Amino acid sequence: MSLLPKFNALPGVVPRRVSAVTYGVVAGLLAVGVQVFFGVKPPPAYGICVACHARDLVAWLVNHLAGTHWELAPVSLILPLLTTIGLLIGAYVAAVRNHERRKVALGGHWRSFVYGILVVNAGIVALGCPTRLLLLSAYGDVLALLAVAGLAAGILIGTTLLVRGVAN
Amino acid sequence: MEPALVTLIMGIILGYLAQRSRICFIGGLRDFVLVRDTELLKGAVAFFITAWLAFSVAGRLGLVDWRAPTYGGDAAVQRVAMSGTLPAVALSGSVLDIGLPVLVVAVAAGIALGLFSTLANGCPTRQHVLAAQGVRDSVFYLGGFYLGVVVYNLVTKPLLALVF
Repeated sequence: MSLLPKFNALPGVVPRRVSAVTYGVVAGLLAVGVQVFFGVKPPPAYGICVACHARDLVAWLVNHLAGTHWELAPVSLILPLLTTIGLLIGAYVAAVRNHERRKVALGGHWRSFVYGILVVNAGIVALGCPTRLLLLSAYGDVLALLAVAGLAAGILIGTTLLVRGVAN
Repeated sequence: MEPALVTLIMGIILGYLAQRSRICFIGGLRDFVLVRDTELLKGAVAFFITAWLAFSVAGRLGLVDWRAPTYGGDAAVQRVAMSGTLPAVALSGSVLDIGLPVLVVAVAAGIALGLFSTLANGCPTRQHVLAAQGVRDSVFYLGGFYLGVVVYNLVTKPLLALVF
């Protein structure tokens, strides 16, 4: 917290609010850029994927600690991709800088825990998290496009359940 | 530069912007259906269009090897395919080439991904942001998320192997 005044002494360097479109454009450029210029491949269209990169990280650790042969992407064989760790650091810095970091408990701990397990499994089977499904589709992958259609259907079903009060 | 380092830096940038924009690709469609709010949906569309244009431009400049195998490495990772379990086909032709079982599993997994993410109140990216922000539920979600990789290797993958 002692760093806060120092951060705040740089007004206007980074805008306090960022639009979703800005995020989309920057993320799109980075996702393709890291593949094209920084060799984050194979496989292609793998620049951003929260589910797969988390899978690579855990699989890499377990493989090295327990000598297993869990699957991970070729690009993560030597060192795992650290996108998810970066996300946590970046979001933490942003939250602290803008005084938005506070302990909140919504009261669904174990339900969230189970959803976490379900989502990562569905994500790995379905070629990746929502971000990567869009990235793969943009790359021209037909199967990913179909998975995106499934994703949209799943969100519609989930939203309907929320509206009807069936879930949560 | 080392891919691990590159993705770490990229992750920090994305995490920062994601926290400031409250981006959520699941929340885009959800908010549109619930309250006709298109803010987050525009973010997802912008991501898709930008990536599509960037791939097109990079392809024109000869920076993308479209015929690159969608996976590589030793026998242990042969099954990785595009990312996970399914042998995906990048630009390899008609949907019919994929095979019905793979197609059904991919769409079904997509539906499950959308459903559970909606009920969990956000996509994996958003959950990482919320956890870093101090939301306890999202911390638990991440616990399940990373432990879920173990579940995938011990349960889901053997089950899928029965189908394929």
